[in-house]
Amino acid sequence: MLNEGKKIYCDVSKCLGCRSCELACAVEHSKSKTLFNAIKEEPVPIHRRRVQAVDEIIISDACHHCEDAPCISACMSGAMYKAEDGSTQHIEEKCVGCWMCIMVCPFAAISRQTKLALKCDLCKDNEKGPQCIISCPTKALISKEV
Amino acid sequence: MNYLIIGASAAGISCVEAIRSIDMEGKITVVSDENYPVYSRCMLSYYLAGIIPEGKLKYREDDFYRKFNVNAIIGKKVDAVMSSDKKVKLSDGSVLTFDKLLIATGSRSKMEKIPGIEKEGVFGLRNIDDARKIEKRLQNSKAAVMLGGGLIGLRAAYALHKRGIKVTVVVKSKHVLSQMLDEEGAKFIQDKIEKEGIKVLTGLAAKEILGNKCSPRIHSGVSEANSVSGVVLENGEKIDCQIVIIGKGVQANMELVKNTEIKTEKGIVVNDYLRTTVSDIYAAGDVAQANDLITGESTINALWPNAVIQGKIAGFNMVEKNIKYDGSISMNSVEFFELPTISCGITKPKGEEYEILVRKNIASSIYRKIILKDNKIVGFVLVKDVDKSGIFGLLLKKKINVSSIKEVMMGNNFDFAKIIPLIKQYKSEFAEKEYSEILI
Ligand SMILES: Cc1cc2nc3c(=O)[nH]c(=O)nc-3n(C[C@H](O)[C@H](O)[C@H](O)COP(=O)(O)OP(=O)(O)OC[C@H]3O[C@@H](n4cnc5c(N)ncnc54)[C@H](O)[C@@H]3O)c2cc1C
Ligand code: SF4
Ligand code: SF4
Repeated sequence: MLNEGKKIYCDVSKCLGCRSCELACAVEHSKSKTLFNAIKEEPVPIHRRRVQAVDEIIISDACHHCEDAPCISACMSGAMYKAEDGSTQHIEEKCVGCWMCIMVCPFAAISRQTKLALKCDLCKDNEKGPQCIISCPTKALISKEV
Repeated sequence: MNYLIIGASAAGISCVEAIRSIDMEGKITVVSDENYPVYSRCMLSYYLAGIIPEGKLKYREDDFYRKFNVNAIIGKKVDAVMSSDKKVKLSDGSVLTFDKLLIATGSRSKMEKIPGIEKEGVFGLRNIDDARKIEKRLQNSKAAVMLGGGLIGLRAAYALHKRGIKVTVVVKSKHVLSQMLDEEGAKFIQDKIEKEGIKVLTGLAAKEILGNKCSPRIHSGVSEANSVSGVVLENGEKIDCQIVIIGKGVQANMELVKNTEIKTEKGIVVNDYLRTTVSDIYAAGDVAQANDLITGESTINALWPNAVIQGKIAGFNMVEKNIKYDGSISMNSVEFFELPTISCGITKPKGEEYEILVRKNIASSIYRKIILKDNKIVGFVLVKDVDKSGIFGLLLKKKINVSSIKEVMMGNNFDFAKIIPLIKQYKSEFAEKEYSEILI
């Protein structure tokens, strides 16, 4: 069986909705990896984490790396897959932008770019780890190895 | 344990993965009559359109069978299942035995009985062979006619249009995608594809496919007299074309269970555990007739995600797991000319018991229609603004009373957070740990 892996949680009692995480996410997934240059890039880098609110709750939410991930069952190109660490990952080169994954993701955690699905990859290419966690001034975002 | 799986596509492959996630020892044999590596037929139209090369049709690595320790018998057909002997007979006369069998033989294109259907240049679009044949004929063709305006018909039309072919879609129904969409939603798509140059004729069917005696441009190697040159419609109108693609739906590949105790109707009938009426024999995917999650009706929703999930649950149950299947869902996602559309469940409600919420902006092609029954979502159609569709799908699947969020659901700012109060209220429905984790 797969291990459950790493996840990022949002402590709603601490989240102020400042959107630092969104910015850090967009920069991390830009070509230049700097805010200064990222805002000028084409296509505009898209953040995979979204600050949302309901009643008195503010939450920063992204892919939950579901244990039984619906996006993987729905993906007809094999782009979405379960990595060994239990996270749900996406191979951009395989993606055809059919949006079957968007159709079934219960958290609406996938964004669309022209012909390409985008989602939280836990900053797997950055040895410092998830940038949203580092950027959060109130430490509302926490990573747990389950 | 000796597992046998017939069919190596969405359902069969996911069954292999499920079995191997719990049983590393058992012997798994897969038989497939298609002589190709594991590929995704959903992407055939992307290949035809020239968006992806043939190699990218593969959705699992070349070493899949080796990695999952599977004995793969490729390029051979199972002619008959001998259910009482727990054996199957292959096309070459050989016989295989099994302890547990999965029938995942899928479906094939339904071919119409119109005069001329046998002509060179008439195709279905179901497998790589079809796509290759269309690809080959495309080189020397100028015009094509799609008979049928369903998902596959339109995908094929879009692909050929991208390749510079003049395309006419002939649809018997009042509008395109009639299985998937309501008339209003379909209009957005029809308007869009017509604007981009694909011709759509509705309320019409073909009467005859015409052939050409000598078509100097098309050298197919087959009798030239039999080469498609046009289509005559019911109203007498004639359309010149060199290619005809039939997109009239699919029919289950279930001939192999003829003469067995296995019950068949539209497909092979399975129960909530994906078992057929004969013990130790399971069916999954396009060939399996299971309960529909929304209507409760026993039917086939011949779609990729349903096939994958059914294959997976069948696999677990073949290893004696007893996992219940929630039921299949009719849902689909299409995008033509950058206009995405997602629909799910009942999209054309008939009767007083349904409540319909609509938000529409013709100028910007935005359409959101949600169909409720007893305050629970039973279907939806989203055009352009599709990103939140999974949340609607979640509420539909869990059969949640949404009366408290009706207005928010139709608003601009609807997102996952807006259903957190419902997740709290109906905790027991949201049992998966992903939901409880939110509430820390
Ligand atoms: C062009 C196209 C586009 C599509 N687009 C979408 C889409 O966007 N979204 C979506 O949800 N679905 C889509 N579908 C439908 C989707 O592909 C099917 O629902 C899915 O492939 C079903 O998987 P399956 O494993 O049940 O069967 P199949 O994919 O049909 O595979 C069955 C396999 O078994 C083999 N077989 C059959 N009989 C035998 C036998 N007797 N012995 C040995 N082997 C046998 C067949 O040759 C085949 O390889 C599309 C289909 C097509 C053709
Ligand atoms: S993208 Fe959505 S469905 Fe897939 S693992 Fe993440 S949250 Fe789950
Ligand atoms: S959009 Fe990409 S990742 Fe999503 S289902 Fe389609 S191919 Fe897979």
